[in-house]
Amino acid sequence: MTQSATSPELLPAIRLSNVCKSYGDHPVLKNIDAQVARGEVVVICGPSGSGKSTLIRTINRLEEISSGSITFDGQNIHAPMPTKALNLLRSRIGFVFQNFNLFPHLSVVDNVSMSPVRVKGVAPDVAYDKALRLLDRVGLADKAKAYPAQLSGGQQQRVAIARALAMEPPVMLFDEPTSALDPEMVGEVLAVMKSLAAEGMTMLCVTHEMGFARDVADRIWFIDAGEIIETAPPETFFNNPRHPRAQRFLADLRH
Amino acid sequence: MINDMIAIISDHWLLLLIGQYPNGPLGGLANTLILSALSIALAFPVSILFALARLSKWRMLRWPVTALVYITRGVPLLMLILWSYFLVPLLTGADVPSFVTMLTTLVVYQGAFLSEVVRGGIVALGHGQMEAAKALGHSYLGAMRFIILPQALYNMIPSIISTFVSTIKDTTLGYVINVPDLTFAANQVNNQLLTQPFQVFLILAIVYYAICWSLTQVANIIERRITRRRAGETRGPAVPAEPRPIALEQP
Repeated sequence: MTQSATSPELLPAIRLSNVCKSYGDHPVLKNIDAQVARGEVVVICGPSGSGKSTLIRTINRLEEISSGSITFDGQNIHAPMPTKALNLLRSRIGFVFQNFNLFPHLSVVDNVSMSPVRVKGVAPDVAYDKALRLLDRVGLADKAKAYPAQLSGGQQQRVAIARALAMEPPVMLFDEPTSALDPEMVGEVLAVMKSLAAEGMTMLCVTHEMGFARDVADRIWFIDAGEIIETAPPETFFNNPRHPRAQRFLADLRH
Repeated sequence: MINDMIAIISDHWLLLLIGQYPNGPLGGLANTLILSALSIALAFPVSILFALARLSKWRMLRWPVTALVYITRGVPLLMLILWSYFLVPLLTGADVPSFVTMLTTLVVYQGAFLSEVVRGGIVALGHGQMEAAKALGHSYLGAMRFIILPQALYNMIPSIISTFVSTIKDTTLGYVINVPDLTFAANQVNNQLLTQPFQVFLILAIVYYAICWSLTQVANIIERRITRRRAGETRGPAVPAEPRPIALEQP
């Protein structure tokens, strides 16, 4: 109670202020102002081409922005900085890709343990044991020695989540993690994400899985044409969307 | 004719093997192997550096190397050899041994060719791998070393080996600047015998063929071993999750 307002525990995990991005004359993100609190699960949804993926990719600077700022732990990610500092920031933001992007030349356990060893300097045997524990957690302990090409899409995505978790990031970003999967594999990936959320992980997730959004999200950001036009808790968003564009989006989903 | 060839070998095997050594410079097959091995061992890392420079975002690095690669690839090797043989001593006043001239020229020439193979392998991997590495906090060079190059080079093994083979064959051009290699020795033998050029040069062809064939075999074994390791212990053929990028094959 006596903590000052600027203490790191009270700062939002991620804060986007006035973020704009355009390709030439074409704006993709317009004045995005939003924040994610510690431990909060935010689901970003919206029609395709609305800028959801671009938005989430700007948060670990896989995409540059034209103006505005994105702070993570009080640091502006888009400030000019030496690449070392940027790499350090990125290592603390977990990112899960739509296409998994596992390293096909490494075994599953090496995929998970390599970055802690190479980036953070963790001792190889420590990283290896930790990788096995993480694989156990995503239900793939028996696949540790397999190579990515031998796994199903759902298994690959779970390995990708374990790989991101191995860096012990305080925040996890998911860019349509189930969009490249066969329908029967979506559930296993969502289950892993649900358990992460239940453990209090701060998560930002672009997804079309409205069931997941309803069950797990603390807040929904609805984005259209590069603007966040509605943010609301899931009950409000799904039952009483205020914005006509959001109403239409939800109506389309029901068909 | 086979008898003639056996006779030539039994009379001149030492010359073909080591040239005039120890009374003169090391030559013959030994020198050919040394020149080939050094050229390959140096051209390979040079080609990776060239490829990285050509993919660099820094113009200061990208432009000169791009120019070098274009020029080198657009000029016959023989001309390049003659240039460095006559021009370098003229410009520097230094007396460069022909072996060194040949080695340097081969390294630059084959390094340029090989760099295009390496670059093709890197580009064919697509952005996903580099993005995943960056998102995990890897530096650019770290990602190249541990994630991009191991895959790119593996995918390019056939093209890389064919460049190595042509490097070995190109060492024969050292003949024109008096590098005492196997070709040089064979020509000396031919000049002594005068009547059996077909037999002498057939021996030469067989030896070169054997060297290059062995290299190809070694490469095949390495490639199969990596493929088997990546297929892992589980049964059945591995099904690639994504279609493998099509490698830019050298003809």
